[in-house]
Amino acid sequence: MQNSQVQSAYFDVVVVGGGISGIQAALDLGDQDHKVLLVERSASIGGKMISLSKTFPTLDCSSCITTPKMSAAFHHPNIQVWTSTDVERVESSDGVRKVHLCRHPTYVDNSLCIGCRLCEYACPVEYPDPFEEGLGAQRAIAVPFTNALPQKAVLNPRYCIACGACIKACPTDAVQFDQREERLTVEAGAVVLTTGFALNSLELKREYNAARSANIISPLQLERLLVPHGPYGRVLRPSDGKVPGNVAFVLCAGSRDQSIGVLYCSRFCCMYSIKQAMLLSGALPTAELTIYYMDIRAFGKGHEQFYQNAKAMGIQFVKAKVASIEPVTGDDISLRVELEEEAGRVAERRHDLVVLAQGAIPVFEPAKALNTPAAEDGFLRQPDSVKITWTGVEGVFAAGCALGPKDIVDSIVEAGAAAMEASKFLAMRTAGRSPAQKPDRLANPVGT
Amino acid sequence: MIRSTAQVESVAPEPRIGVYVCRCGGNISDVIDTEKVAETIKLVPGVRVSKVHSFMCSEPGQAMIAEDIKKEQLNRVVVASCSPFLHELTFRVAVRRGGLNPYLYEHVNIREQGSWSHHGDPEGATVKAIRLLAAAVHRLYHAEPLEQIRLPSHRRALVIGGGIAGLKAAVDLAAKDVGVVLVEREPQLGGRLLGLASLFPNDESGRAQIDRLVGEVQNNRNIEVLTGTVIKSVSGFLGNYDIAVGPASAGGAADVEAGGAKEKKLSVGAIIVATGHDYYRPGSGEYGFKRYTQVVTMPEFIDLLAGASRDGIEFNGQRIRRIGFMHCVGSRQIEGIHQPQADGRVNDYCSRVCCTTVLHQALHAKRRFPYLAVFDFHQDIRTYGRLHEDYYRRASEAGVVFFRFHGDEPPLVEGGVDGYPVQVRLKDWLTWGEEIVVPLDLLVLAVGMVARDNRELVNLLKLPIGADRFFQEVHPKLRPVETSVNGILLAGTAQAPMTIEETLASASAAASKAACLLAHDSVELETFKARVDADKCIGCGLCFPECAYEGALVRTNVEREGKTVTLASVNPGLCVGCGACVPVCPTRAIDLQGWTLSQFEAMVDGLLSAPLPSQPATSESSSHGKAH
Repeated sequence: MQNSQVQSAYFDVVVVGGGISGIQAALDLGDQDHKVLLVERSASIGGKMISLSKTFPTLDCSSCITTPKMSAAFHHPNIQVWTSTDVERVESSDGVRKVHLCRHPTYVDNSLCIGCRLCEYACPVEYPDPFEEGLGAQRAIAVPFTNALPQKAVLNPRYCIACGACIKACPTDAVQFDQREERLTVEAGAVVLTTGFALNSLELKREYNAARSANIISPLQLERLLVPHGPYGRVLRPSDGKVPGNVAFVLCAGSRDQSIGVLYCSRFCCMYSIKQAMLLSGALPTAELTIYYMDIRAFGKGHEQFYQNAKAMGIQFVKAKVASIEPVTGDDISLRVELEEEAGRVAERRHDLVVLAQGAIPVFEPAKALNTPAAEDGFLRQPDSVKITWTGVEGVFAAGCALGPKDIVDSIVEAGAAAMEASKFLAMRTAGRSPAQKPDRLANPVGT
Repeated sequence: MIRSTAQVESVAPEPRIGVYVCRCGGNISDVIDTEKVAETIKLVPGVRVSKVHSFMCSEPGQAMIAEDIKKEQLNRVVVASCSPFLHELTFRVAVRRGGLNPYLYEHVNIREQGSWSHHGDPEGATVKAIRLLAAAVHRLYHAEPLEQIRLPSHRRALVIGGGIAGLKAAVDLAAKDVGVVLVEREPQLGGRLLGLASLFPNDESGRAQIDRLVGEVQNNRNIEVLTGTVIKSVSGFLGNYDIAVGPASAGGAADVEAGGAKEKKLSVGAIIVATGHDYYRPGSGEYGFKRYTQVVTMPEFIDLLAGASRDGIEFNGQRIRRIGFMHCVGSRQIEGIHQPQADGRVNDYCSRVCCTTVLHQALHAKRRFPYLAVFDFHQDIRTYGRLHEDYYRRASEAGVVFFRFHGDEPPLVEGGVDGYPVQVRLKDWLTWGEEIVVPLDLLVLAVGMVARDNRELVNLLKLPIGADRFFQEVHPKLRPVETSVNGILLAGTAQAPMTIEETLASASAAASKAACLLAHDSVELETFKARVDADKCIGCGLCFPECAYEGALVRTNVEREGKTVTLASVNPGLCVGCGACVPVCPTRAIDLQGWTLSQFEAMVDGLLSAPLPSQPATSESSSHGKAH
């Protein structure tokens, strides 16, 4: 992967972000014979989706849907995958896109690493595993997670104590403490931004007091608790390992809320909360499950039916914007709500685990990285009502949550659309060009 | 083009098999005694090489296999490692690198189905690994070199429906130099958008969007437009569909109406279905529809508002000052509460666009006529999309009054008093269940989207329909715009309710998929297909009723001993390799290429005759070299 030959590389399309949208866009472009570079900031492709338990409304296993697409993209003859690589800036001028990249050191030579994990077993340091949302432990050098692609070890310099145990354990001498950050620029005919989203902080809404209780958790943490191979192997609440018996889901805990400056709807929280409640009711049949909501937005194909099924299963839906959340004795949590359907009575409701539906916020900064203003909601603009995946910058397209929160199905469809627009753009661009000027194909680098 | 499928399994040369057992860095070898497995499997006839490696998938592991194939003249290879899902392809490529046909390879999973699932029983897991490997070796005795089936294809697509979805798909494909035939039933292109004066979220008119796309379609040498035309017949498969089209309605007057549409035959490689939706038509009396003249549907209101003069909205001689909008008319219906539709089912789905449409239209009306009093009756406000929530906020600020009802207690629409033609009575949950009566001059029913009656097209294309009567995709995430018929794709609201933006995305995604399928002059089909041994086939026809894929089995007339007999043969383009025809054949004339019955039998023999470490190896191998 770290390969000096790539310094002057040209690609038909650079896809920025290796989540499900980026993977789908890369696959659609690769299948149309475009040479694609798929750039991912973290050490594995797969994005948020690879860490989810099951997906609504079909309840099929998320890994089982993500891994075939990950592996199809990774082994595609027209797609190169660069992980641990940040896109710092995209310039679009004189008919060409320049993508300025920063490749972060992983302290492991991917051309030598065989993914045997012997370094991981030898490493004496453990820290909260980011893939498990901090609930499990990870070694300072490790393959990021079981189905990570590439299956290459990554060293985390924040926790490494430089004891050298990994160097001794490695059968191929792949560990290299002297790797450095590397900046390079690639040229591209077109760029597709599939940079996804981040969740706003659990602690953003101060009256919800997430900082004061380990049992006020994020939905991604609950996803990890729900996967069969998760950090605890079962659903336990973080503070004391108790099996939760009364779980609350607080919707719009980071969206549709002027007090925190996120006015828009994050679009998928209603559905994943219903899904999580359903999965919990399977894992903990006696648990009481309550969803506090403003409006249930089950708008997609099969979503309303899914919502009605959840009601029929006995999951409680309470129409209320939760006013405040307080930790109380016994590591439990108290929610203060106005019960609109009980004559507006104000009640304190006690739960032993609370999940806050955080809002989805942008990660890509268009003003800084693309020299174009962001839309009012902070995501990329969509100035053309017919070419909806065009960002307003020549040759630069976007899909998925880079254009605002979106569920997986809508993201995948939009990724196909962005691939189409990018491919059309290239076709029109090369229409007048002689074949001799067409850039040569690039040899696939080591490590993919 | 359809090649003869009457091949006999080639008699394999003496098998020279290489077996490679992976330790997987301890994942396997911590439980399974991989050395013992490799040693024991050597006793199975035909095994020439048997080796262990810590990471068979690593470059050194793969190189070892490729080298052995050349050096030891191996003609078959088995790797025992992780799930074939992860690395079957890796090793097929490695085998090809060694100069061997990639289908002379067998992958055995001894990790997920071995060391991981039997970690408490190392001995048992070791025996299981040996048995599985022996089965694989026996299967390979009967393996034959195979190639993917490659058939020439037409670089041309048929797009059915000339609304915004069809137009967008056509424009996209044409830009990729894929020929497009765009077929529209109506005399003009444009579809439903032509009737929409102002669209959310940018207040552009529907006609403006359509005009942009129609302009691109009409000046495009790659697009042939056939209006007033419908599909008459469809046959063929991915890459090779034969289509007949004709005038929209048969009979004398039709020719004039259809603008001279003619019968025509087309050959295309892929089909995009963009036939759109219908608006829900409320039943008589449903929310006062047809019972009170001042109850209209949303499309009617959009026309009314667009046509209103500066003086205000007037309808049936009544000056409109108080308007109500009723959400979820024909959507989110509940069995036992709402009248079932013609097919006996209720519309239990959400129509996705109506909430935003209501607020967009309400704001539009308030902006033009600020004196209007606007009332909104909803269950949930589903303004989920980008900028949609803005409409909700602005509508509240503009003084729209919201009422919330429960789905199982829908509001009642009654005749009004005090000069109001109509009134809505409901239990409002925003005021804690209070019963409220709202007198109105006009009630607008936000009707949902319903699937069109596409019966003829469904029959022609053999497409699956969901419980909601819309076209059904293969998988919402893996293949969201594909149908179960290879090469037939979905665009827009033929699949489900969608906004215009979502429709455009779906149309482009379908175009992208079609461009992928038709990227080359040929299409590649999986090699695992049924084949018929013509010498054994007695023409009994028992296989035909078993086959679910029309045209996959073909009746072929053959001269036999001076007489014409009808035998079965396989069209590999249409066969999906499901194997349903294989067990019913009384003469075993049908087999699945790559998964033959003799291979399965050999696997069973291998499992049972495997040499086990605890007992002296028996080298009898019942299936080796024997004819079945």
